[in-house]
Amino acid sequence: MADEDLLPFDPTMKKKKKKKKTGFDLDAAMGEDSGSAADGLPTVTQPPAEEEEEEVPEPQQSQNPDDFSMDFTSMKKKKKKKKAFELDELEEELPKTTETETIPSTAVESQFNVEDLDFTKKKKKKKKPLNIDGGGEDGQEDEEQIGDDAGSHTAWVGSDRDYTYDELLTRVFDIMREKNPDMIAGEKKKFVMRPPQVLRVGTRKTSFANFADICRLLHRQPKHVLAFLLAELGTSGSVDGNNQLIIRGKYTQKQIENVLRRYIKEYVTCHTCRSRDTLLQKDTRLFFLQCETCGSRCSVASIKTGFQAVTGKRAAIRAKTA
Amino acid sequence: MDNSFFNPFADTGEGVGGSPGIQGSLIHIRIQQRNGRKTLTTVQGVDPKYDFKKIVKAAKKEFACNGTVVEHPEYGEVIQLQGDQREHIRSLLIKVGIATNEQIKVHGF
Repeated sequence: MADEDLLPFDPTMKKKKKKKKTGFDLDAAMGEDSGSAADGLPTVTQPPAEEEEEEVPEPQQSQNPDDFSMDFTSMKKKKKKKKAFELDELEEELPKTTETETIPSTAVESQFNVEDLDFTKKKKKKKKPLNIDGGGEDGQEDEEQIGDDAGSHTAWVGSDRDYTYDELLTRVFDIMREKNPDMIAGEKKKFVMRPPQVLRVGTRKTSFANFADICRLLHRQPKHVLAFLLAELGTSGSVDGNNQLIIRGKYTQKQIENVLRRYIKEYVTCHTCRSRDTLLQKDTRLFFLQCETCGSRCSVASIKTGFQAVTGKRAAIRAKTA
Repeated sequence: MDNSFFNPFADTGEGVGGSPGIQGSLIHIRIQQRNGRKTLTTVQGVDPKYDFKKIVKAAKKEFACNGTVVEHPEYGEVIQLQGDQREHIRSLLIKVGIATNEQIKVHGF
């Protein structure tokens, strides 16, 4: 069960690892990261751009930014292009530059057009963690698969032979996918969540700065998340004035991530369909997880602190109680 | 959750009162931070039919750590081990057959 539950998170993990190692996988916390990365790349490419703009007279400028916004992957092309310009400029002085510009730029544009096609795909891949339902491409792949499978189906539909179980199974699933394409996206839906910002406060306290944000993202009451966090970590803590959570003890971001992931698995994702579109309701002292997607409703374990060993000074405790 | 028979108390953890470790209940392995980078591992909910002292003795020897059994009014006898022994004690409990993998819940980060 545990492994199965983890499954939906794994793909994101793998994908993320391909792209980046820093991921807070579960929630594809890359939301911000990839965004910043996307921003980051162009900034890397920008310096040459500015140089170019400086070197090249007016008309080019209007085209350049557009090209730019498209092309963060094509550093190589950029360099080539730049060389070409420089050569042109070296060879010819002002009067001819306008011509030379127009010619290479159109050439470049055509290149870009070709590239754009590739690029949008690449871009999608990159942005996937960004989109909440980044099923775009997967959907396409699925469709392709459907097409292939459909071919195999028609094969047995026409003939009189017995169909195998597998064929029937794929047929059923294909029909399901055809009838409601949303489901595909639903299946591939990934968690997008920001990584928790965990900072050390002093030597023995830890601050979870975007605690309120994350609670909002998960659509859970901070009180509930707080109770879970503290019970799991076996410490005490509180939310301070700026809505950040102060926990006693030293914890790294990774550790908090782990606990949050467990929280999401238990209290956010639907246990039946793994959708995160759920509500946590309290009903006669029990918490129920109501899924908005599949309508299932199941009780979730209550948060229990359990046994707490004495870690402080016993004398202090004795003084307090006595 | 994946019990073949439905036990309404399966996921409630320990039993009511001082009788932890009813059939099918979970064994909770927790970690607590102490001063500095020291930690403490607690094992709660082991079936009381086992001799806790013997478990602790075996654990101490195997993990080269100190440990003790503490009595708790609500949770019964609880094993405490020094250091982060969560994975160790988990594999030990599974190996000697005190609990299955599904019966153990490891808490903490």
